[in-house]
Amino acid sequence: MAPMIQAINLHHRYPNGFHALHGINVSIEAGEFVAIIGQNGSGKTTFVKHLNGLLRATEGVVNVNGTSVGKRPVSEMARIVGYCFQNPDHQIFCDTVYKEVAYGPVNLKLSPPEIEARVVEALEAVGLTDYKNSNPHDLSKGQRQRVAVAAVLSMHPSVLCIDEPTTGQDYKDGVDMLNLIDKLNQAGHTVLFITHDMPMVARFAKRLIVFREGNILLDGTTYEVFENVEVLKTTFLSPPQITHLAREYNQFYPRTVLSVKEMLDQTFELLKLKSLTGGIQ
Amino acid sequence: MTNIIQVQDLTFQYRRGTSPALKEINLCVAPGEFVGITGPAGAGKTTLLSCIDGIIPHYYGGDLKGTVEVAGLKVASSTFRDLALIVGTVFEDPDFQMVSISVDEEVAFGPENLGVPREEIEKRLTTALKKTRIESLRDRAISTLSGGQKQRVAISAILSMLPQVILLDDPTSELDPIGTVEVFTALRELNRDFGIAIVIVSQDMERLVENSDQIIVLYEGRILIHGAPRQVCSKRSVLASAGVRVPEVVEFTLSLHEALGKPLPVESIPLTVEEAVPLLGKILSENNAGGI
Repeated sequence: MAPMIQAINLHHRYPNGFHALHGINVSIEAGEFVAIIGQNGSGKTTFVKHLNGLLRATEGVVNVNGTSVGKRPVSEMARIVGYCFQNPDHQIFCDTVYKEVAYGPVNLKLSPPEIEARVVEALEAVGLTDYKNSNPHDLSKGQRQRVAVAAVLSMHPSVLCIDEPTTGQDYKDGVDMLNLIDKLNQAGHTVLFITHDMPMVARFAKRLIVFREGNILLDGTTYEVFENVEVLKTTFLSPPQITHLAREYNQFYPRTVLSVKEMLDQTFELLKLKSLTGGIQ
Repeated sequence: MTNIIQVQDLTFQYRRGTSPALKEINLCVAPGEFVGITGPAGAGKTTLLSCIDGIIPHYYGGDLKGTVEVAGLKVASSTFRDLALIVGTVFEDPDFQMVSISVDEEVAFGPENLGVPREEIEKRLTTALKKTRIESLRDRAISTLSGGQKQRVAISAILSMLPQVILLDDPTSELDPIGTVEVFTALRELNRDFGIAIVIVSQDMERLVENSDQIIVLYEGRILIHGAPRQVCSKRSVLASAGVRVPEVVEFTLSLHEALGKPLPVESIPLTVEEAVPLLGKILSENNAGGI
Protein backbone atom coordinates (compact mmCIF):
# COMPACT_ATOMS: atom_id res chain seq x y z
CA MET A 1 0.00 0.00 0.00
CA ALA A 2 1.25 3.47 -0.87
CA PRO A 3 2.18 5.74 2.04
CA MET A 4 -0.38 8.40 2.98
CA ILE A 5 2.19 11.12 2.39
CA GLN A 6 5.33 10.88 0.35
CA ALA A 7 7.74 13.64 -0.64
CA ILE A 8 10.48 12.81 -3.12
CA ASN A 9 13.30 15.32 -3.60
CA LEU A 10 10.89 18.16 -2.75
CA HIS A 11 12.32 21.63 -3.30
CA HIS A 12 10.61 24.95 -2.81
CA ARG A 13 11.89 28.30 -3.95
CA TYR A 14 9.73 31.30 -3.10
CA PRO A 15 9.24 33.93 -5.85
CA ASN A 16 11.71 36.20 -3.98
CA GLY A 17 14.40 33.56 -4.54
CA PHE A 18 14.45 32.14 -0.99
CA HIS A 19 15.24 28.43 -1.22
CA ALA A 20 13.05 27.15 1.63
CA LEU A 21 13.15 23.38 1.05
CA HIS A 22 16.30 21.63 -0.19
CA GLY A 23 15.16 18.24 -1.45
CA ILE A 24 12.96 16.70 1.23
CA ASN A 25 12.48 12.93 1.17
CA VAL A 26 9.97 11.59 3.64
CA SER A 27 7.23 9.03 3.85
CA ILE A 28 4.35 8.98 6.36
CA GLU A 29 1.97 6.04 6.68
CA ALA A 30 -1.77 6.25 7.26
CA GLY A 31 -2.60 6.62 10.96
CA GLU A 32 0.76 8.03 12.09
CA PHE A 33 1.00 10.79 14.74
CA VAL A 34 3.92 13.01 13.76
CA ALA A 35 5.34 16.17 15.32
CA ILE A 36 7.39 18.51 13.16
CA ILE A 37 9.85 20.68 15.03
CA GLY A 38 12.63 23.13 14.18
CA GLN A 39 13.50 26.79 14.39
CA ASN A 40 11.34 29.49 12.82
CA GLY A 41 12.26 29.68 9.15
CA SER A 42 13.49 26.06 8.97
CA GLY A 43 10.82 25.04 6.45
CA LYS A 44 8.20 23.32 8.66
CA THR A 45 5.17 25.28 7.50
CA THR A 46 6.42 25.48 3.91
CA PHE A 47 6.60 21.67 3.85
CA VAL A 48 3.14 21.14 5.29
CA LYS A 49 1.57 23.63 2.86
CA HIS A 50 2.63 21.38 -0.02
CA LEU A 51 0.38 18.59 1.21
CA ASN A 52 -2.87 20.34 0.30
CA GLY A 53 -1.55 22.43 -2.57
CA LEU A 54 -1.34 25.80 -0.78
CA LEU A 55 2.24 25.76 -2.10
CA ARG A 56 3.51 23.87 -5.16
CA ALA A 57 6.80 22.00 -5.47
CA THR A 58 9.29 23.93 -7.58
CA GLU A 59 11.14 20.62 -8.02
CA GLY A 60 10.36 17.07 -6.95
CA VAL A 61 7.07 15.38 -6.18
CA VAL A 62 4.51 15.19 -3.37
CA ASN A 63 2.14 12.25 -3.32
CA VAL A 64 -0.89 12.04 -1.06
CA ASN A 65 -2.60 8.68 -0.74
CA GLY A 66 -0.68 7.37 -3.72
CA THR A 67 -1.53 10.20 -6.12
CA SER A 68 0.63 13.19 -7.02
CA VAL A 69 -0.62 16.55 -5.73
CA GLY A 70 0.76 18.13 -8.93
CA LYS A 71 -1.57 20.89 -10.01
CA ARG A 72 -4.71 19.53 -8.34
CA PRO A 73 -6.67 22.47 -6.90
CA VAL A 74 -6.64 23.23 -3.17
CA SER A 75 -10.40 22.71 -3.10
CA GLU A 76 -9.90 19.09 -4.17
CA MET A 77 -6.92 18.49 -1.86
CA ALA A 78 -8.79 19.97 1.12
CA ARG A 79 -11.05 16.90 1.13
CA ILE A 80 -8.01 14.75 1.85
CA VAL A 81 -5.69 17.03 3.80
CA GLY A 82 -7.10 19.47 6.34
CA TYR A 83 -4.85 22.35 7.36
CA CYS A 84 -5.33 24.46 10.51
CA PHE A 85 -3.44 27.72 10.53
CA GLN A 86 -1.20 28.72 13.42
CA ASN A 87 -3.47 31.62 14.28
CA PRO A 88 -7.15 30.58 14.20
CA ASP A 89 -8.09 34.19 13.52
CA HIS A 90 -6.39 33.96 10.11
CA GLN A 91 -8.84 31.27 9.17
CA ILE A 92 -12.14 32.11 10.89
CA PHE A 93 -14.38 34.53 9.02
CA CYS A 94 -18.03 33.60 9.60
CA ASP A 95 -20.23 35.19 12.25
CA THR A 96 -21.41 31.97 13.84
CA VAL A 97 -19.58 28.80 14.77
CA TYR A 98 -22.15 26.78 12.80
CA LYS A 99 -21.60 28.71 9.56
CA GLU A 100 -17.84 28.48 9.97
CA VAL A 101 -17.93 24.71 10.30
CA ALA A 102 -20.54 24.35 7.53
CA TYR A 103 -18.56 26.50 5.08
CA GLY A 104 -16.47 23.66 3.60
CA PRO A 105 -19.33 21.16 3.18
CA VAL A 106 -21.54 23.91 1.66
CA ASN A 107 -18.82 24.52 -0.91
CA LEU A 108 -18.68 20.82 -1.65
CA LYS A 109 -22.37 21.27 -2.58
CA LEU A 110 -23.42 18.48 -0.24
CA SER A 111 -27.09 17.97 0.55
CA PRO A 112 -28.46 20.04 3.48
CA PRO A 113 -29.02 16.97 5.70
CA GLU A 114 -25.45 15.80 4.99
CA ILE A 115 -24.08 19.27 5.83
CA GLU A 116 -26.07 19.35 9.05
CA ALA A 117 -24.83 15.88 10.01
CA ARG A 118 -21.19 16.79 9.37
CA VAL A 119 -21.38 20.02 11.37
CA VAL A 120 -23.03 18.28 14.32
CA GLU A 121 -20.41 15.52 14.22
CA ALA A 122 -17.45 17.95 13.95
CA LEU A 123 -18.70 20.19 16.78
CA GLU A 124 -19.23 17.17 18.96
CA ALA A 125 -15.69 15.94 18.24
CA VAL A 126 -14.20 19.25 19.43
CA GLY A 127 -16.64 19.72 22.33
CA LEU A 128 -18.33 22.87 21.04
CA THR A 129 -21.87 21.60 20.47
CA ASP A 130 -23.27 24.20 22.85
CA TYR A 131 -21.59 27.06 21.02
CA LYS A 132 -22.94 26.50 17.53
CA ASN A 133 -24.81 29.81 17.51
CA SER A 134 -22.01 31.84 19.12
CA ASN A 135 -19.90 34.35 17.25
CA PRO A 136 -16.41 32.80 17.09
CA HIS A 137 -14.89 36.12 18.12
CA ASP A 138 -16.72 35.98 21.46
CA LEU A 139 -14.96 32.72 22.29
CA SER A 140 -11.61 32.23 24.03
CA LYS A 141 -8.50 31.58 21.97
CA GLY A 142 -8.55 27.88 22.91
CA GLN A 143 -12.17 27.63 21.78
CA ARG A 144 -11.46 29.47 18.51
CA GLN A 145 -8.68 26.97 17.84
CA ARG A 146 -11.26 24.21 18.26
CA VAL A 147 -13.60 25.96 15.81
CA ALA A 148 -10.76 25.97 13.30
CA VAL A 149 -10.21 22.24 13.82
CA ALA A 150 -13.96 21.54 13.49
CA ALA A 151 -14.09 23.54 10.23
CA VAL A 152 -11.40 21.23 8.85
CA LEU A 153 -12.97 18.05 10.28
CA SER A 154 -16.28 18.71 8.55
CA MET A 155 -14.46 18.11 5.25
CA HIS A 156 -13.74 14.52 6.41
CA PRO A 157 -10.03 14.69 5.60
CA SER A 158 -7.79 11.64 6.02
CA VAL A 159 -4.87 13.84 7.10
CA LEU A 160 -4.93 16.65 9.67
CA CYS A 161 -2.11 19.20 9.62
CA ILE A 162 -2.18 21.49 12.63
CA ASP A 163 0.24 24.40 12.82
CA GLU A 164 1.20 25.25 16.42
CA PRO A 165 -1.97 24.07 18.16
CA THR A 166 -0.87 25.23 21.63
CA THR A 167 0.73 28.62 20.93
CA GLY A 168 -0.60 31.44 23.08
CA GLN A 169 -2.68 29.09 25.22
CA ASP A 170 -2.39 28.26 28.87
CA TYR A 171 -1.22 24.82 29.95
CA LYS A 172 -4.68 23.34 30.46
CA ASP A 173 -6.01 24.51 27.08
CA GLY A 174 -2.81 23.22 25.48
CA VAL A 175 -3.23 19.75 26.98
CA ASP A 176 -6.95 19.70 26.10
CA MET A 177 -6.08 20.56 22.49
CA LEU A 178 -3.48 17.77 22.23
CA ASN A 179 -5.89 15.30 23.86
CA LEU A 180 -8.41 16.21 21.16
CA ILE A 181 -5.81 15.68 18.43
CA ASP A 182 -4.82 12.37 20.02
CA LYS A 183 -8.46 11.28 19.97
CA LEU A 184 -8.76 12.21 16.29
CA ASN A 185 -5.61 10.21 15.57
CA GLN A 186 -7.08 7.19 17.34
CA ALA A 187 -10.23 7.63 15.29
CA GLY A 188 -8.07 7.03 12.21
CA HIS A 189 -6.81 10.44 11.05
CA THR A 190 -3.16 10.74 10.10
CA VAL A 191 -1.90 13.67 12.17
CA LEU A 192 0.98 16.09 11.58
CA PHE A 193 1.46 18.94 14.01
CA ILE A 194 4.04 21.70 14.10
CA THR A 195 5.14 22.88 17.52
CA HIS A 196 7.87 24.42 19.69
CA ASP A 197 6.56 22.81 22.86
CA MET A 198 8.95 19.94 23.66
CA PRO A 199 7.11 18.53 26.71
CA MET A 200 3.94 18.28 24.57
CA VAL A 201 5.93 16.57 21.81
CA ALA A 202 7.36 14.09 24.31
CA ARG A 203 3.94 13.38 25.73
CA PHE A 204 1.91 12.96 22.54
CA ALA A 205 3.91 12.42 19.35
CA LYS A 206 4.95 8.94 18.26
CA ARG A 207 7.31 10.16 15.54
CA LEU A 208 9.40 13.30 15.31
CA ILE A 209 10.71 15.03 12.21
CA VAL A 210 13.26 17.81 12.84
CA PHE A 211 13.78 20.48 10.21
CA ARG A 212 16.86 22.65 9.90
CA GLU A 213 17.51 25.15 7.13
CA GLY A 214 15.19 23.46 4.66
CA ASN A 215 16.47 19.92 5.30
CA ILE A 216 15.33 17.07 7.52
CA LEU A 217 17.93 16.84 10.26
CA LEU A 218 16.45 13.93 12.23
CA ASP A 219 13.50 11.60 11.66
CA GLY A 220 12.57 8.79 14.02
CA THR A 221 10.50 7.78 17.00
CA THR A 222 10.24 10.45 19.69
CA TYR A 223 12.59 8.35 21.85
CA GLU A 224 15.19 8.04 19.11
CA VAL A 225 15.18 11.73 18.22
CA PHE A 226 15.44 13.00 21.80
CA GLU A 227 18.48 10.74 22.31
CA ASN A 228 20.39 12.92 19.85
CA VAL A 229 20.93 15.82 22.22
CA GLU A 230 24.07 17.06 20.49
CA VAL A 231 22.48 17.06 17.05
CA LEU A 232 19.38 18.83 18.38
CA LYS A 233 21.59 21.49 19.91
CA THR A 234 22.83 22.47 16.45
CA THR A 235 19.34 23.78 15.78
CA PHE A 236 18.81 25.19 19.29
CA LEU A 237 16.31 22.55 20.32
CA SER A 238 16.47 20.76 23.60
CA PRO A 239 14.63 17.70 24.94
CA PRO A 240 12.36 18.15 27.99
CA GLN A 241 13.96 18.77 31.41
CA ILE A 242 13.19 15.25 32.61
CA THR A 243 15.01 13.73 29.63
CA HIS A 244 18.10 15.80 30.54
CA LEU A 245 17.94 14.74 34.17
CA ALA A 246 17.77 11.04 33.27
CA ARG A 247 20.73 11.40 30.88
CA GLU A 248 22.90 12.62 33.76
CA TYR A 249 22.46 9.14 35.25
CA ASN A 250 22.28 7.10 32.08
CA GLN A 251 23.90 4.13 33.81
CA PHE A 252 20.59 3.84 35.71
CA TYR A 253 18.28 5.07 32.96
CA PRO A 254 19.62 3.38 29.82
CA ARG A 255 16.44 4.09 27.83
CA THR A 256 15.46 7.68 26.91
CA VAL A 257 12.94 9.04 29.41
CA LEU A 258 10.22 11.32 28.04
CA SER A 259 7.91 12.09 30.94
CA VAL A 260 7.87 12.62 34.70
CA LYS A 261 5.70 9.53 35.06
CA GLU A 262 8.18 7.32 33.18
CA MET A 263 11.01 8.76 35.26
CA LEU A 264 9.18 8.06 38.52
CA ASP A 265 8.27 4.53 37.46
CA GLN A 266 11.86 3.73 36.50
CA THR A 267 13.24 5.31 39.67
CA PHE A 268 10.85 3.38 41.93
CA GLU A 269 11.85 0.21 40.15
CA LEU A 270 15.52 1.02 40.73
CA LEU A 271 14.85 1.66 44.39
CA LYS A 272 12.64 -1.44 44.68
CA LEU A 273 9.72 0.80 45.56
CA LYS A 274 7.39 -0.50 42.88
CA SER A 275 4.39 -0.57 45.16
CA LEU A 276 4.44 3.19 45.59
CA THR A 277 3.85 4.09 41.95
CA GLY A 278 0.13 3.60 42.27
CA GLY A 279 -0.26 6.84 44.16
CA ILE A 280 1.48 9.02 41.59
CA GLN A 281 -0.49 10.36 38.65
CA MET B 1 13.49 52.16 49.81
CA THR B 2 10.11 52.99 48.28
CA ASN B 3 8.47 50.56 45.93
CA ILE B 4 8.53 51.23 42.21
CA ILE B 5 5.07 49.65 41.88
CA GLN B 6 2.52 49.63 44.66
CA VAL B 7 -0.93 48.13 44.14
CA GLN B 8 -3.40 48.44 47.02
CA ASP B 9 -6.80 46.78 47.27
CA LEU B 10 -7.24 46.95 43.51
CA THR B 11 -10.60 45.77 42.19
CA PHE B 12 -11.49 46.48 38.58
CA GLN B 13 -14.51 45.68 36.45
CA TYR B 14 -14.61 46.44 32.71
CA ARG B 15 -17.49 48.68 31.67
CA ARG B 16 -19.26 45.83 29.90
CA GLY B 17 -18.06 43.12 32.26
CA THR B 18 -20.46 41.10 34.39
CA SER B 19 -18.01 40.56 37.26
CA PRO B 20 -14.70 42.13 38.32
CA ALA B 21 -11.68 41.13 36.23
CA LEU B 22 -9.43 41.81 39.24
CA LYS B 23 -10.40 41.40 42.89
CA GLU B 24 -8.59 42.90 45.91
CA ILE B 25 -5.09 42.77 44.45
CA ASN B 26 -2.23 43.85 46.72
CA LEU B 27 1.29 43.82 45.45
CA CYS B 28 4.63 45.65 45.75
CA VAL B 29 7.56 45.62 43.38
CA ALA B 30 10.90 46.99 44.61
CA PRO B 31 13.16 48.88 42.20
CA GLY B 32 15.18 46.40 40.17
CA GLU B 33 13.00 43.35 40.93
CA PHE B 34 12.14 40.67 38.36
CA VAL B 35 8.50 39.64 38.79
CA GLY B 36 6.80 36.80 36.94
CA ILE B 37 3.01 36.66 36.56
CA THR B 38 1.26 33.49 35.45
CA GLY B 39 -2.15 31.86 35.58
CA PRO B 40 -4.73 30.38 33.22
CA ALA B 41 -6.42 32.27 30.38
CA GLY B 42 -8.89 34.82 31.72
CA ALA B 43 -7.24 35.08 35.16
CA GLY B 44 -6.67 38.85 34.84
CA LYS B 45 -2.97 38.91 33.91
CA THR B 46 -3.25 41.40 31.04
CA THR B 47 -5.75 43.49 33.00
CA LEU B 48 -3.26 43.79 35.85
CA LEU B 49 -0.53 45.03 33.48
CA SER B 50 -3.00 47.52 32.00
CA CYS B 51 -3.71 48.91 35.47
CA ILE B 52 0.04 49.48 35.97
CA ASP B 53 0.91 51.10 32.62
CA GLY B 54 -2.23 53.26 32.70
CA ILE B 55 -4.10 51.75 29.73
CA ILE B 56 -6.67 51.28 32.51
CA PRO B 57 -8.27 53.75 33.28
CA HIS B 58 -6.93 56.12 30.59
CA TYR B 59 -8.02 54.07 27.54
CA TYR B 60 -10.28 51.35 28.95
CA GLY B 61 -12.83 52.62 31.40
CA GLY B 62 -14.62 50.72 34.10
CA ASP B 63 -15.17 50.61 37.80
CA LEU B 64 -11.80 50.89 39.55
CA LYS B 65 -11.38 50.68 43.33
CA GLY B 66 -8.13 50.89 45.25
CA THR B 67 -4.92 52.55 44.08
CA VAL B 68 -2.03 51.80 41.76
CA GLU B 69 1.16 53.85 42.12
CA VAL B 70 4.19 53.74 39.86
CA ALA B 71 7.34 55.51 41.12
CA GLY B 72 5.12 57.44 43.50
CA LEU B 73 2.70 58.61 40.77
CA LYS B 74 -0.94 57.65 41.14
CA VAL B 75 -1.72 55.98 37.81
CA ALA B 76 -5.37 57.07 37.69
CA SER B 77 -4.63 60.77 38.18
CA SER B 78 -1.37 61.02 36.18
CA THR B 79 -1.12 61.80 32.48
CA PHE B 80 -0.31 59.00 30.08
CA ARG B 81 2.77 60.99 29.02
CA ASP B 82 4.15 61.13 32.56
CA LEU B 83 3.54 57.40 32.97
CA ALA B 84 5.26 56.64 29.67
CA LEU B 85 8.44 58.18 31.07
CA ILE B 86 8.53 55.55 33.82
CA VAL B 87 6.93 52.41 32.44
CA GLY B 88 6.87 50.80 28.99
CA THR B 89 5.00 47.72 27.77
CA VAL B 90 5.92 44.97 25.29
CA PHE B 91 3.02 42.95 23.87
CA GLU B 92 2.65 39.34 22.73
CA ASP B 93 2.77 40.08 19.02
CA PRO B 94 5.70 42.39 18.20
CA ASP B 95 4.11 43.43 14.89
CA PHE B 96 1.25 44.91 16.89
CA GLN B 97 3.37 47.70 18.33
CA MET B 98 5.92 48.45 15.58
CA VAL B 99 5.26 51.76 13.83
CA SER B 100 8.42 52.16 11.73
CA ILE B 101 10.07 50.52 8.74
CA SER B 102 13.60 50.24 10.12
CA VAL B 103 15.05 49.30 13.49
CA ASP B 104 16.75 52.67 14.18
CA GLU B 105 13.55 54.62 13.39
CA GLU B 106 11.56 52.36 15.69
CA VAL B 107 13.91 52.74 18.62
CA ALA B 108 14.17 56.54 18.13
CA PHE B 109 10.40 56.97 17.79
CA GLY B 110 9.58 57.41 21.48
CA PRO B 111 12.21 60.02 22.35
CA GLU B 112 11.50 61.90 19.08
CA ASN B 113 7.90 62.27 20.17
CA LEU B 114 8.99 63.65 23.51
CA GLY B 115 11.02 66.32 21.71
CA VAL B 116 14.35 64.98 23.01
CA PRO B 117 17.29 66.83 21.33
CA ARG B 118 18.88 65.14 18.34
CA GLU B 119 22.28 64.29 19.88
CA GLU B 120 20.57 62.88 22.94
CA ILE B 121 18.35 60.67 20.75
CA GLU B 122 21.43 59.30 19.00
CA LYS B 123 23.00 58.50 22.35
CA ARG B 124 19.86 56.76 23.64
CA LEU B 125 19.48 54.83 20.39
CA THR B 126 23.04 53.52 20.54
CA THR B 127 22.74 52.54 24.20
CA ALA B 128 19.35 50.85 23.81
CA LEU B 129 20.54 48.76 20.86
CA LYS B 130 23.68 47.81 22.76
CA LYS B 131 21.82 46.77 25.91
CA THR B 132 19.60 44.39 23.95
CA ARG B 133 22.57 43.25 21.79
CA ILE B 134 21.07 44.19 18.48
CA GLU B 135 23.58 46.86 17.37
CA SER B 136 24.18 44.88 14.20
CA LEU B 137 20.48 45.13 13.28
CA ARG B 138 20.40 48.93 13.44
CA ASP B 139 19.81 49.54 9.71
CA ARG B 140 17.70 46.48 9.03
CA ALA B 141 14.07 46.58 7.91
CA ILE B 142 11.91 45.25 10.75
CA SER B 143 10.00 43.00 8.35
CA THR B 144 13.19 40.97 7.72
CA LEU B 145 13.81 40.10 11.38
CA SER B 146 13.06 36.89 13.29
CA GLY B 147 10.49 36.90 16.10
CA GLY B 148 13.17 36.99 18.82
CA GLN B 149 14.92 39.88 17.09
CA LYS B 150 11.64 41.80 16.71
CA GLN B 151 10.86 41.42 20.40
CA ARG B 152 14.30 42.76 21.26
CA VAL B 153 13.63 45.74 18.99
CA ALA B 154 10.36 46.30 20.89
CA ILE B 155 12.27 46.17 24.20
CA SER B 156 14.91 48.50 22.78
CA ALA B 157 12.25 51.00 21.70
CA ILE B 158 11.08 51.10 25.30
CA LEU B 159 14.61 51.40 26.69
CA SER B 160 15.17 54.56 24.66
CA MET B 161 12.51 56.17 26.86
CA LEU B 162 14.76 55.44 29.88
CA PRO B 163 12.03 53.62 31.84
CA GLN B 164 12.33 52.34 35.39
CA VAL B 165 9.92 49.48 34.73
CA ILE B 166 9.29 47.27 31.69
CA LEU B 167 6.05 45.29 31.52
CA LEU B 168 5.83 42.37 29.11
CA ASP B 169 2.65 40.53 28.16
CA ASP B 170 3.58 36.97 27.13
CA PRO B 171 6.41 38.20 24.86
CA THR B 172 7.74 34.75 23.93
CA SER B 173 4.60 32.72 23.22
CA GLU B 174 5.00 33.10 19.46
CA LEU B 175 8.75 32.53 19.46
CA ASP B 176 10.79 29.42 18.80
CA PRO B 177 13.06 28.10 21.59
CA ILE B 178 16.08 30.17 20.54
CA GLY B 179 13.96 33.35 20.30
CA THR B 180 12.61 32.67 23.80
CA VAL B 181 16.13 32.30 25.19
CA GLU B 182 17.24 35.52 23.46
CA VAL B 183 14.41 37.52 25.00
CA PHE B 184 14.79 36.15 28.55
CA THR B 185 18.57 36.62 28.44
CA ALA B 186 18.14 40.24 27.33
CA LEU B 187 15.62 40.87 30.13
CA ARG B 188 17.82 39.26 32.76
CA GLU B 189 20.76 41.44 31.72
CA LEU B 190 18.70 44.64 31.72
CA ASN B 191 17.44 43.72 35.14
CA ARG B 192 20.74 42.68 36.69
CA ASP B 193 23.11 45.14 35.02
CA PHE B 194 20.92 48.24 34.82
CA GLY B 195 18.46 47.76 37.67
CA ILE B 196 15.36 48.02 35.50
CA ALA B 197 12.37 46.36 37.15
CA ILE B 198 10.76 43.67 34.97
CA VAL B 199 7.16 42.49 35.28
CA ILE B 200 6.51 39.69 32.82
CA VAL B 201 3.38 37.68 32.11
CA SER B 202 4.26 34.22 30.80
CA GLN B 203 3.08 30.61 30.59
CA ASP B 204 6.70 29.44 30.53
CA MET B 205 7.17 28.30 34.14
CA GLU B 206 10.66 26.93 33.46
CA ARG B 207 11.91 30.41 32.52
CA LEU B 208 9.88 32.17 35.21
CA VAL B 209 11.25 30.12 38.11
CA GLU B 210 14.79 30.48 36.77
CA ASN B 211 14.66 34.27 36.42
CA SER B 212 12.10 35.73 38.84
CA ASP B 213 12.60 37.18 42.31
CA GLN B 214 8.89 36.73 42.96
CA ILE B 215 6.10 34.95 41.12
CA ILE B 216 2.43 35.87 41.25
CA VAL B 217 -0.15 33.28 40.24
CA LEU B 218 -3.50 34.81 39.32
CA TYR B 219 -6.68 32.79 39.24
CA GLU B 220 -10.16 34.16 38.53
CA GLY B 221 -9.03 37.73 39.18
CA ARG B 222 -7.37 37.04 42.53
CA ILE B 223 -3.83 36.36 43.65
CA LEU B 224 -3.82 32.62 44.32
CA ILE B 225 -0.15 32.24 45.28
CA HIS B 226 2.55 34.85 45.67
CA GLY B 227 6.16 34.32 46.69
CA ALA B 228 9.70 33.40 45.73
CA PRO B 229 9.91 30.71 43.01
CA ARG B 230 10.72 27.88 45.44
CA GLN B 231 7.80 28.82 47.69
CA VAL B 232 5.44 28.93 44.72
CA CYS B 233 6.68 25.55 43.46
CA SER B 234 6.14 24.00 46.90
CA LYS B 235 2.39 24.54 46.41
CA ARG B 236 2.17 22.37 43.35
CA SER B 237 -1.22 20.85 44.14
CA VAL B 238 -2.79 24.31 44.45
CA LEU B 239 -1.09 25.27 41.19
CA ALA B 240 -2.37 22.12 39.51
CA SER B 241 -5.94 22.90 40.58
CA ALA B 242 -5.55 26.25 38.77
CA GLY B 243 -4.20 24.52 35.66
CA VAL B 244 -0.64 25.77 36.20
CA ARG B 245 2.16 23.25 35.87
CA VAL B 246 5.46 23.36 37.77
CA PRO B 247 8.62 22.54 35.79
CA GLU B 248 9.24 18.81 35.24
CA VAL B 249 12.28 18.63 37.54
CA VAL B 250 10.21 20.15 40.37
CA GLU B 251 7.34 17.74 39.80
CA PHE B 252 9.68 14.76 39.71
CA THR B 253 11.84 15.71 42.70
CA LEU B 254 8.90 16.57 44.95
CA SER B 255 7.02 13.37 43.99
CA LEU B 256 10.08 11.22 44.61
CA HIS B 257 10.82 12.74 48.01
CA GLU B 258 7.20 12.41 49.05
CA ALA B 259 7.11 8.76 48.01
CA LEU B 260 10.23 8.11 50.07
CA GLY B 261 8.64 9.81 53.06
CA LYS B 262 11.30 12.52 53.08
CA PRO B 263 9.52 15.76 52.17
CA LEU B 264 11.92 18.31 50.71
CA PRO B 265 12.35 21.61 52.59
CA VAL B 266 11.25 24.59 50.49
CA GLU B 267 14.78 26.00 50.25
CA SER B 268 16.02 22.75 48.65
CA ILE B 269 13.43 22.58 45.87
CA PRO B 270 15.38 22.48 42.58
CA LEU B 271 14.49 25.11 40.00
CA THR B 272 16.68 23.82 37.17
CA VAL B 273 18.04 20.53 35.85
CA GLU B 274 21.44 21.45 37.31
CA GLU B 275 19.93 21.81 40.78
CA ALA B 276 17.99 18.54 40.46
CA VAL B 277 21.00 16.44 39.47
CA PRO B 278 22.74 16.23 42.90
CA LEU B 279 19.42 15.61 44.68
CA LEU B 280 18.70 12.60 42.49
CA GLY B 281 22.30 11.40 42.82
CA LYS B 282 22.00 11.45 46.59
CA ILE B 283 18.82 9.37 46.56
CA LEU B 284 20.20 6.84 44.10
CA SER B 285 23.37 6.33 46.11
CA GLU B 286 21.69 6.34 49.53
CA ASN B 287 19.26 3.70 48.38
CA ASN B 288 21.92 1.60 46.79
CA ALA B 289 20.29 1.74 43.40
CA GLY B 290 21.64 -0.90 41.08
CA GLY B 291 24.14 -1.88 43.75
CA ILE B 292 26.44 1.16 43.79
